[in-house]
Amino acid sequence: MQNEDTQRFGTECSLTAIKTGQRAVISAVKGCPSSLLQKLVAMGVVMGTEVTVTQRGFFGSPINVAVLGSILSLRSAEAAYIQVQAL
Amino acid sequence: MTTTTSSPTTSSPLVTLVGNPNSGKTTLFNALTNSNYKVSNYPGVTVEKREGSLALNKDSKVRLLDLPGTYTLSGLTADEAIVTKALQGLIPSCGTPDLVVAVIDSSNLERNLYVISELLDTGIPVIAALTMIDTVEERGERVYTELLSRSLGVPVIPLIARKKQGLSDLKDAVSKALLSRDTLHKPFAWIPSSYPNRAQLELRANPFEPPQDDELITTIATMRYTWARAISSRVSPLSNQPSVRHNSLDAILTSKLWGIPILITVFALIFQAIFLWAQAPMEVISGLLDALATETAAILPEGMMTNLLTQGIIPGVGNVLVFVPQIAILSLCIGFLEDSGYLSRATFLLDNAMRKVGLQGRAFIPLLSSFACAVPGIMATRTIPTKIDRLITIMIAPLMSCSARLPIYVLLIGVIIPPVSLGGVLSLQGLVLLSLYVLGAFAAACISYIFKKTLHRKESCFFVMEMPPLRLPTARVVLRNAYDAVSSFIKSATTIILACSVIVWFLATYPQPSSIDTDNPVKTTYAGKIGTALEPLIRPLGFNWEIGFGILSSFPAREVFITGFSTVLNVQDDEEHSTLQEHLRQRRTQGDFSTATGLSLLIFYVFSCQCMSTLAVCRRETGSWTWTFGMFGYMTVLAYCASLVTYQVAVRLL
Repeated sequence: MQNEDTQRFGTECSLTAIKTGQRAVISAVKGCPSSLLQKLVAMGVVMGTEVTVTQRGFFGSPINVAVLGSILSLRSAEAAYIQVQAL
Repeated sequence: MTTTTSSPTTSSPLVTLVGNPNSGKTTLFNALTNSNYKVSNYPGVTVEKREGSLALNKDSKVRLLDLPGTYTLSGLTADEAIVTKALQGLIPSCGTPDLVVAVIDSSNLERNLYVISELLDTGIPVIAALTMIDTVEERGERVYTELLSRSLGVPVIPLIARKKQGLSDLKDAVSKALLSRDTLHKPFAWIPSSYPNRAQLELRANPFEPPQDDELITTIATMRYTWARAISSRVSPLSNQPSVRHNSLDAILTSKLWGIPILITVFALIFQAIFLWAQAPMEVISGLLDALATETAAILPEGMMTNLLTQGIIPGVGNVLVFVPQIAILSLCIGFLEDSGYLSRATFLLDNAMRKVGLQGRAFIPLLSSFACAVPGIMATRTIPTKIDRLITIMIAPLMSCSARLPIYVLLIGVIIPPVSLGGVLSLQGLVLLSLYVLGAFAAACISYIFKKTLHRKESCFFVMEMPPLRLPTARVVLRNAYDAVSSFIKSATTIILACSVIVWFLATYPQPSSIDTDNPVKTTYAGKIGTALEPLIRPLGFNWEIGFGILSSFPAREVFITGFSTVLNVQDDEEHSTLQEHLRQRRTQGDFSTATGLSLLIFYVFSCQCMSTLAVCRRETGSWTWTFGMFGYMTVLAYCASLVTYQVAVRLL
């Protein structure tokens, strides 16, 4: 699925595909439930925000992401909704 | 003095604190109230309400309400919904806020300004408290507070709550704002002036009622953040890049190599603390109460009231107080871990494994603690933010074999399992004991999985949390937390536990046998009669009425089974329960107490919810009798079925 996205949007990919330590910019939050969307946007996950994956748990979940000077912990299923462009 | 008819809740102005989690809001609240505040629950939910009074000067006071930390006013979780309701004046006991003190973490301006932008749209008078300016200065940055004040249109007071700096400035600003009661700021300042349908967007961007349309949510949020980013880069020009504060300690604590060993060490210490260190104070408490009961019995004339006091009320109070050491120790440990930020690291490490059985990482400590005692374990679920995860954790916590089950396990294993060793190393008795613990935990995982499949579907559940910065915990916060936990337990559990103790005492004592020569004095009591009446029901489990009586009498607390069982068998119980054990061995050789019965009874105690303190605390923490009876119901059914299967299989095999 991630590969499909990468093909369709060129350099865009899901946050789960970003390497630990890599900087990226959020391009969209897509397809997630409204309640999660509201939570994410309130925490700064909106288009144009810079993010860095700082840490990954066992088997890739949760993912810790530096957003606006604080670190958010997301499960990989939730991080998959976040589309980014690697910097 | 003039008499006022207004209720005390509306007599003085209400000031509320609103801000992000970890913004220093609670530290500020503690500093402003001098930690002199009342903790209660908001009506109908288990969100903690902290209200204190703030003395502005010699003769004016305001009520200060610390609302839960939130990222948005469009209330999603129970905590956030409280903020939304409180600001709208929809919480009956609170009233409408006259002023909001918006707490802004100056080291994370942009993110903190989001909820402020929503707050400014509500039309409630706002002043801003700019916290953690010392952190910003340490980083070599600064925040131009004057400029921020002009950009937001509200007074901005810089302060360091931990060092109590800037508090008097804040109090002055509060007094001034309350006198004028004007809203100086412009709502909807975040909508760009070039936006075509401004009026329409203002209508749809009500911060209390977020739009249902995903696209609009995104549009509005992006605009709010564009506004926040512009202000942030203007007033704090040096910190315009999101700085990833890379912390090497953090990296070690969450690393794949060291994370788990450190976690195990920390948890082992906590477990050790509640299991062993609480032992001595618990023994002191029960010793004192026993002595009190004996003394009372000696002083007062014999009679029903004396019996009620010495056998009903005093042990009942003991049943409450005996939990205090464990709750205190566990809440101190958890307070320390939570305030230091380690709890979130532990959650990070454990979430993936816990999610497999339908739980989240934070459920680990409550469940681990439940091996010592489910009461502090259930109270520890307060750290789980999502309601449904918390509920499932509460429901399965009593399946962990607690320390009260241990005496029963040891007694019965000693009777039915021969003291042989397997291969010269493993003791068979030890192995059986271990398997009972594993069985409970395994059942908990299965039940949780079932709950997940049935409950999670209704409520969309996600896991997004902010990692709070690692720091040294504040002693004051940790101590206060533990104090609140203990006092709320005593306040809420006493009534239920005391009432149950008295009822069970009554059933097990009355009516007293008319003559002494009755073959078994217990059989004539109500409990004995109920036990006898239940016999057909428990016969398939291999239990006779005597075991039935023991089980009934152990409803207040599992360990009481031994006393109850001894009474019914006319055995003098002693410290080591050796007489009872010997008696049971004899019965076993006579064929009265078979191995199958013993196994069935062991299994019954693994699953059954014979603990009214657990039920009392479940009622308190879930706020619902449905869940409380649900817990008792499912565990009793589970215990009955498991014992039935065990006995029927064992009786055929052995």
